[in-house]
Order: sequence, then C-alpha cells, then structure tokens
Amino acid sequence: MIRLENVSKNYKDKKILQNINLEIQDNAITTLIGESGCGKTTTLKMINRLIEPSSGTITIDGQDIRKKNPIALRRSMGYVIQQTGLFPHMTIRQNIELISKIEKKDPKKIKERTLEMMEMVGLNAEEYLDRYPSELSGGQQQRVGIARAFASDPKIVLMDEPFSALDPLTRSSLQDELIHLQENYHKTIVFVTHDMDEAIKISDKIAIMDGGKLVQYDTPENILKHPANDFVRTFVGNKRIWTSPNLIRVEDIMMDHPVTCKPNFSIFYCLNKMKMSHVDTLMVVDEKKKLQGILYASSLTNVNYENKKARDFIENDFLSVHPEDSIIDLLKIIDENKISTMPVVDHKGILKGLITRSSLLTSLSQQFLEKEEQ
Amino acid sequence: MELINYFIDNSSQILSLLLEHIELTVMAVGLAILIGVPIGIFISYVKKLGKPILGLANVMQAIPSMALLGFAIPFLGIGTLPAIVMVVLYSLLPIIKNTYTGINSIQEQMIESATGIGLTRAQILMKIQIPLALPVIMAGVRISAVSAVGLMTLAAFVGAGGLGYLVYAGIRSINNLQILAGAIPACLLALFMDYTLGIVERLVTPKNKKPSGHVPFFKRDSVQKIILFFILLLFASLFALNFIQNKKIGKQMTIGSMDFTEQEILSYMMKTLIEDRTDITVNQKLSLGSSSIVFNALKEGNIDLYIDYTGTLYGSVLKHEPNSDVSEVYQISNKELQEKYQLHLLNDLNFNNTYTLAVTKETKEKYQLQTISDLSAVSNELVFSPTLTFMERNDCYVGLSKAYPIAFKDVIAMDGAPRYLALMNGESDVIDAFSTDGLLKKYDLVVLEDDKNYFLPYQAVPVVSDSFEEEYGEVLPILEELREHLNDEVMRNLNYEVDENGKTPQEVAEKFLSEQNLI
Repeated sequence: MIRLENVSKNYKDKKILQNINLEIQDNAITTLIGESGCGKTTTLKMINRLIEPSSGTITIDGQDIRKKNPIALRRSMGYVIQQTGLFPHMTIRQNIELISKIEKKDPKKIKERTLEMMEMVGLNAEEYLDRYPSELSGGQQQRVGIARAFASDPKIVLMDEPFSALDPLTRSSLQDELIHLQENYHKTIVFVTHDMDEAIKISDKIAIMDGGKLVQYDTPENILKHPANDFVRTFVGNKRIWTSPNLIRVEDIMMDHPVTCKPNFSIFYCLNKMKMSHVDTLMVVDEKKKLQGILYASSLTNVNYENKKARDFIENDFLSVHPEDSIIDLLKIIDENKISTMPVVDHKGILKGLITRSSLLTSLSQQFLEKEEQ
Repeated sequence: MELINYFIDNSSQILSLLLEHIELTVMAVGLAILIGVPIGIFISYVKKLGKPILGLANVMQAIPSMALLGFAIPFLGIGTLPAIVMVVLYSLLPIIKNTYTGINSIQEQMIESATGIGLTRAQILMKIQIPLALPVIMAGVRISAVSAVGLMTLAAFVGAGGLGYLVYAGIRSINNLQILAGAIPACLLALFMDYTLGIVERLVTPKNKKPSGHVPFFKRDSVQKIILFFILLLFASLFALNFIQNKKIGKQMTIGSMDFTEQEILSYMMKTLIEDRTDITVNQKLSLGSSSIVFNALKEGNIDLYIDYTGTLYGSVLKHEPNSDVSEVYQISNKELQEKYQLHLLNDLNFNNTYTLAVTKETKEKYQLQTISDLSAVSNELVFSPTLTFMERNDCYVGLSKAYPIAFKDVIAMDGAPRYLALMNGESDVIDAFSTDGLLKKYDLVVLEDDKNYFLPYQAVPVVSDSFEEEYGEVLPILEELREHLNDEVMRNLNYEVDENGKTPQEVAEKFLSEQNLI
C-alpha cells in the first residue's frame, strides 16, 4: 500500500500541494484527477521521487521512500508518460529492454519477457521489435510504453496521462486493454488523468484534486452519486452517471416503501388497501418482512373471496432482483419476461423495495427532464 | 598539363605532406572533440557558465590565426605542438556550441521519462543525451574538420609541415604550380573530410522511416557503412605505410631553417650529406619563419642546428651597433652567444649574404643610381617595399635611414617574394634583397652599392648549442668539407635554380652535392 501522510509541496511562495492524505490500495487502479495545475502530476511524481515533498511522508508498505535509493525505487516501479516517453534513437526492443539490460539480467529471460510483453499489449513482436518509435502510430507507441513499464514485473505502475494525446477511438481501446491487463496482472496502478470518463471507466478508486487539495477520494460510483461538494459536482457533471449506466443500481431507482400485506390478511382488506394506495399488486411479507409472494389484483376478479385470506391467492412463483444489481441487468430481466412489477429483495429474501414500469419510466426520464431545466 | 606533370614529378613529396596534413588535422580535430564535447556537456548542466565559455570560444575564433600561432611559439616552441594547439582552439567553438545546443534541445519530458524509469544521471547522459545530440554534435565536428584542413596549412609556418609547406614555398618562390600542388590536395582533402563525416553524421541520426521505395545505391546504410569502412582502412594503411617508412632508428638530429630558398637548400645539403656519411637521421624543420623564431627554437632545444648570419646575430639578437669588421663581428657574436644563451657558432660557410637594396634597370637609368647615397638623394620620389623583417630590425631600415638620410615617398612592407612582383609591376621602386638572392638574377635587378659600409657582414654560419660537439662530433668535418665548395656566386646560382627554374630546393641541393662529388 502506498500511503501519503500530510504531504505538502511548496515552490517558492506558491503552495502546490497542501496536506494530502491518501491511501492507495494494492492491486487496484487509483486515479488522480483534477484540472490542470491541481497537483495531480506532482503527487504522482512524488511516489517515484521525481519530486520531493516539502513536508510529510510517503510510505510504501510501511517503508519511508526517502530512505530508499531513488534509482532502485524507480526501477521497482513502472512509469508511463505521454507519447514522448519512448527514446526515439532506440528500437522498440531496446526501449523495452533498457532497464533489464542495465541490470544485467539473463539475456534469454529478457528476450522471453520482451516477447511476452509484446503479446500482452497486442503488438506483433516480429513486425515491431526492430522498428523505431517514430515508425509506430501514437496508440502503438503507448502500447510499447506500457510494455516497457510492465517489463520488469513491478508491483507498482505509475501512469501520467498516458492516453491523453491519443484520438478518442484509440484511447478507448487502450482503456479497455488496460482494464483487461489489470484483470490478469493485478498491479497497483496510479493513473493521472483529466478525463472524468476515463477515470470512471478504469478506476477502482478516484482521488479528485483541486488547488493542491484532495477534495474527494472514493469509488467512481460514490463520487458520481454523492459528490462531496459543488466543485466535484460540477467537475463530475450532474448527468455523468447516465453515461455509465452500469453504475446505476436497482436501489437507486426503486420505490423504498412498497405497499405490503401479511399472508393472513383478508382479501377484502387487501383489495381495500390496493384501492387506497392506487396500486394493483401487493407484496406479501411475513413478520420479518421476508417476501412470501405477490398478490395481483387481476387474480382477484370474479372470485368469491368471502373468508378467504391473502395466502389463498398469492403468486409464489415470482422474479426478484437485488438492490445492488445494475439497472442494465434489471432492464434485461424486465424485457425478457415482459413483467411490470419487480420486487427488490436482499440475499436473505427480505423485501427492500419495488420496481414497476412506471417507477422505471420516471427515473429514466429524469435525466432528460433535468437537462431541459439547465 | 604542366600541373599534372608537376604532380607526377613531386608525387612522393605531395603524398607525404598530405599524410602529414591528415595526421595533424585528425589529431587536432580529435583533441578538439575530446575537449569540446565534455565542455559542451558541462555547460549544458551548469547553464551559468554557458555564456562566458561560449563567449571565450567566440573570441578565440576571432583572433587572427597567424597572431595566435606567433603568440604560441614562445610558450610551445615550434613544430606540431603549436600548430595543433592553434587548430584545436579554432575547432572548439563549433563543437562546444553544437554539443551544448544538441543536449539542450532534447525535450525535458524525455529526460524525465529516463529518470522516471530509473536511469542514473550518467546513464541518461551516455544512453539518452549524447546519442540524441550526436547528429548535432557531428554537424559541429564536420564544420570544425573542414575548417581545420584549411587552417592546418598555417602549420608550415612553425615547421609542422603539411600541405601549407607547398603553398608558402610556392608563394615565396613565385611558383604557381607549387602553390596549386599544396592548395588542390588541401581543397580535395576538405571536401573528402566533409563527405566522410557526412556519412558518419547520417549514420548516427535516428531513423525515422524504414526506407520506403527505391533508395539510391550509395545512400543505403549498409553501402555507406562499407564506404566508411574502406575510407578508414585507407587512412589506416596510409599511416601504417608512412610510419614504417619513417620509422626512425638510432641517432637523430633536427635542423631548422628560416623561410627563404637559400636556407632550404642549405638544409637539404646538410641533411643529404650527413645522412650519407653518418647513421644520423636528420629531421628538417623547414620555413620556421624569421631568424628570431628559429633562434628561439634552438634555444628551447627544439632543433639542434640552424644556419644564421653573423650580422643578424650581432645586430638584432645581441643588439650591437653596426660594425663592418667581419672577424670582429664573428668573434663578439660567438663569445656573447655563449655567455648569454649557451649557444655558439661553428665555422662560417664561406659566403656572405648581406642586405642590399635593389632597383630595376629602368629605375637605375632614370635616376642615375649607383650607390645608396645616390638613392637617398631621390628617395622622396620612390616607394620602398621591404620585408617585414627589414622594417623591424634595428640593423636594417631604422639604422639605414639614419646612416643615409633616406625618406621614401611611401613604405609598403610585405613578406617574401611578392615584393619582387610589386617591383616588377611598378607598384614600388626599391626593395631590400639579399646579395645571394636568386630572384635578383631572375628579374635582372640592379644592386646598389653600400658606399657608407652601413650593412653588417652577414656570413652564413651554423649556430648550435654548447653540447653539439659532444653529441654530433662526427658532423663537424662534414660541414667543413661542405664549406669548401660554397661561395657567394655558388649560392646565388643555386638560389636562381630554385627561384627561377622552378626546381625544388631538394633537387638543387642533391644535384649540387653529386656534381661536386660529395656524395
């Protein structure tokens, strides 16, 4: 774990960073984001000691990095920067193998590793290894940059706006690739960007910075749903969540208090309750609020319900969703089963809420309506 | 056609001078790289020093090269050292400047990337900065090398040899073929250097694109590498050959000489005779310049022997007033040289090369001139073109204008043979001359009589250090023998052979020795 404690950086009278406290989790992608000049790159460069803090400490797995040799420290991390990171006078192979060669590793192993890295980033080794960087496209160069950073198999990889100079299509495919890589390699990646979409897409956690201060540090979902202040809200953008529907959960759009009844309630009572609440279904729950079934108004027409209880007409065979399911899964189920009412239960079967076609419509239409207002 | 014949006749001399020239240039440029590149790197780190150091290098390049060379002689003596030092100083600026610019123009981000992936400062320098700056540095080296080839022609002035020797010998004896024999190879050498370094520059430039389409045969990397390899091989083998030929075994002796024909003929005579009779190898330092430079060279031990003239030693080295007593001048000079400089004179060479003034026949007729006194009467109508030496020495113009009341209309000092041309073109009317000067005969000039006996006797005499007899005792009888075959008349004829008939001093010296049955 990389931990920043009360880290500040002053340059002359200017405060670049003020009291940054940050815990960067292992094996996750943590993004530092903010407008230019917010201190995100400075923070990143402190981790490999390209910049030394004016005060405060940075530790990696409990060890103060100031006590480490900076060269050894840097070699223990991967470092990827914008397009210019590759050395133009060296071939792709020389670029990737530079540090391994300097450290005099076994040549055979270096060669194998290089081939593995090229495959990892999806470049044809035979075609590209002996070319010079300028012969490659921007996206290909950046793949090589990633290959070089991963070549020494470091635990930590620092990436400073690696994709910002690329066209949107290439950027998007490299982001996908990074996510894919991370699934296999589980590095501790610290990623600097100014692109919120990119951050949401790739990050496990996002640290939003503004004017040298850490404003919010949380998961993408929480940042989208619960922006810490107005800055984050504007920076993130109100509607941003709709560009990442997989982050919208069932619990975000469900009705929290569905109309319920107990199994031993009389049908007469139940019908009356439906009428009063303007609903056509009742969730039948027991004393512990565990969902037993659904009582549909449609199944009560033209029947003799004298002395009958709710349990006599209950529909026991029903579909349900969990609160943390994404809206995409929900829509899929609703679409496939042509149903209009979907109870939300937790893992113990306790009723948490209800999704109906009309509640769904209301939630989905909100983004368009609010946009109109702005 | 004439030129081609000259080249063929003198091919071995031209080739060896060319090799000498290449050797000097390569050494100088190599040193300039070794000094300039680190300085360039240094000032790219310590930016504060950039301006003063570049400024200094700029000033260095602005100093006239001749002045720098002259200035270097008291400190560095004569020979290859001052020549190389001069060329190095001139070559530094483009190398320092380009190294500095090359390293500074590397993007900051590149260096940061290198630091970030864990390269040490030294590794960044060696693996990133220098390779990236190399094309720019090489461009600087290329500029330096080309100008060094030209500058190195000045090396002949301090006896370092090289193609400049032919150029200056040619100017002195008004031999255009000889000038061209030095200038053309020097020019070709410069172009060749430029081409060779151009290949190097291209090869060290990072490739941008894989060669697409058809690349001309001679532009292909592989072909260029082969060309480069053969050029280097050629150089190496030429040097090896030269080295083997010049491998000096046993005893060596160095003879210096001033920058006029007679001195060179004498130098070749002594060399040929000594090498014929003894197993001493004689090195020649030809055309070192005026008497004072060669005198200094002897004093510093750079040479073992040279021929000077008693009057010069007496008047300009020992600063005595004019004296026309031949043996007194010799005795006093010998004694005082020993006391002051631990040098002494050997027996004179039996000819007197004194100063005189010369005019054309037409001038003589026009003004009815016989003696210098006649000249002084009409001097205000005449232009005088003496050598620089003549102007500067107390026993020449300064004393002369006192002894005879002479006041010329104008005095235009110029060095060497060009003043004969000025005289013949009518740009001047009177020149100084040596009585044995072959050009007097060539241009059919009239020598004016020194009716007041102003000029000192100028007996040619070998000057050596006090340890000479001990070291080179066997040379003394040889010089004695040579003496018996020399006199004023003989010297003037020999000089004429070179200056008028376009023969080389070496040819003339060897021919004379064999005619006299000395070898």
